[in-house]
Amino acid sequence: MSQYIQKGKYEATELEGEWIILNTEQYTVTRLNDVGGLCWSLLTEVQTSESLTRSLAKKYSSVKNDEQIKKDVEEFLINLVQCGLVQRVD
Amino acid sequence: MQEVHTKIGDHFIQIICESISLIKMFEKNFYSFIGDENQQSDLAIKIENGYGVSFKDYEVEIIKQNNLIYFLRADYLIKFDPENKYATISVHDELALKHALMNLYSTFIVNQNWGLLIHSSCAIEKGKAHIFAGQSGAGKSTAAKLSYPRNLLSDEATLVKITTKGVIVYDSPFRSEMESESLEEQVELASVQILHQAQQNTKNQLAKSEALLHLMDKVFFWPHCQEETKKIMRLLTKLVKTVPVYEFHFKKDNTFWELIS
Repeated sequence: MSQYIQKGKYEATELEGEWIILNTEQYTVTRLNDVGGLCWSLLTEVQTSESLTRSLAKKYSSVKNDEQIKKDVEEFLINLVQCGLVQRVD
Repeated sequence: MQEVHTKIGDHFIQIICESISLIKMFEKNFYSFIGDENQQSDLAIKIENGYGVSFKDYEVEIIKQNNLIYFLRADYLIKFDPENKYATISVHDELALKHALMNLYSTFIVNQNWGLLIHSSCAIEKGKAHIFAGQSGAGKSTAAKLSYPRNLLSDEATLVKITTKGVIVYDSPFRSEMESESLEEQVELASVQILHQAQQNTKNQLAKSEALLHLMDKVFFWPHCQEETKKIMRLLTKLVKTVPVYEFHFKKDNTFWELIS
């Protein structure tokens, strides 16, 4: 299972529940909603798509479809890798 | 050697220059304070001419070495010592000097965590300042011209001081067409408009995160280290937390002011 962690140098700011993450090396900006921001915060430590799915399912207990969450998380992680904000550590 | 004492924002600046024509450019564009040589300066700048070639492009090479920052362009060279608040600017002509001063002053105010130079025009209405920003051709200078008879604080680069208590706009000496009236006042910033030309006037307030994204590429800044880039983000965050930012569609007449005041 792939493992991920935050990568590079950045400045993150939270505004009204949304996150703006500035990669200060590449001078790129990524905007995340509150769920994305939660995942991003958890990625200060090594995570897998499963560990993130567990955390989200716990936080948003009203959402029952774990499979859908996992699929969304995997897609999100791929996006974060493309944005240069996280890296695979395996 | 000539010496001029000037003021930009609330910074006292000492200019030392050997060229009469460059000093004349100062007297035209910057406030000149005669007789207050005793004022402690916040930044000292020595200006030399005879450097490089005429303007080629906006490409600036940045080198950081031994606590000094160098900005190199075909028509100017800036050597800035942030710790001692001293800079040497070598220029080819007046245009190079104007651009170099913007480059240096913007670097200085970010370094001091004082504020930002924002690519925009700014007018005063009922004692409050309103900024008009946008992509090239969106109508910043049109909005400035259509704001007559309101006083203008800037037509190209707005000088904002950002504190946790509020955002203050100062008269900007960095002008493109409309000369500064050298307003001494400091005006509280009440709104920022991100401009789009349209058939009708409409405005929508942006979410703070979106406002921050819109403003990030409107700051005049030459990034020379990551710490300074972070400072810009923090300053802009403070700004969007304090001041509403609007997506502003306007038609080319002065009726857009009805939506602002």
